[in-house]
Amino acid sequence: MRVYEELFIAKPDVPDEEVDQFVEQLRTHLTSAGATVDKVDKWGKRRLAYKVGKYREGAYVLLQFSAGPDTVKELERRLRVADLVIKFLTVRVDQTLKRLEKRKKDRDKRAAKRATAAPVGVTAPGQPLMPMPEAPAMPGLPKE
Amino acid sequence: MAESKGRPGSAAQRPTGGDKAVATKKQYFRRKKVCRFCVERIDDINYKDVKLLHAFVAERGKIIPRRISGVCAPHQRRLTDAIKKARNIALLPFAAAI
Repeated sequence: MRVYEELFIAKPDVPDEEVDQFVEQLRTHLTSAGATVDKVDKWGKRRLAYKVGKYREGAYVLLQFSAGPDTVKELERRLRVADLVIKFLTVRVDQTLKRLEKRKKDRDKRAAKRATAAPVGVTAPGQPLMPMPEAPAMPGLPKE
Repeated sequence: MAESKGRPGSAAQRPTGGDKAVATKKQYFRRKKVCRFCVERIDDINYKDVKLLHAFVAERGKIIPRRISGVCAPHQRRLTDAIKKARNIALLPFAAAI
């Protein structure tokens, strides 16, 4: 299972209910294929950065779901066929999410370590764990 | 000169990061450019964040080179990716009329 984001633009002149209905259709397709829909976010109407067909604005809808690759293929096909969709973009996000989580964890850990190290002294030389413990103010810089 | 230590991962330890005041005080020294993503610790450069991306796109819609914006290489790579995705879904222009 992979986590995907699907951002698509619906025609601005299509009523809201119809868009909702379409999203519901997609959702049933996804769940029946064994995927789980995590998030449906409607941004509302926005100006497009450039003209698409004859449209200058569109209603953005964001879906986040986890599914297998085949399910996404089918979803994209549906979006391509649907009349009310002007543009869509699928992005795989699981790897990015994982990377971000890791970075956040590292950062928190580092912050915690610094918090515990701070009261002892300004520079603690005997800390082999970190390759670059707060490099003590670079030589070339004026000191306050 | 801080460049030699300018690994993005080590941004947290860089003592001068973002401290523009120090650099401007020295008149004979060109103001050091710093990577905004390193300084502000922005991990996620997302294609949906139009407000952020707009700062790195010129008037005409071109991506600003890092030699001008000062963004570090790993972040510029992610930034480029994000801008290109945003263009595809009409959040940013490919070429803007001025």
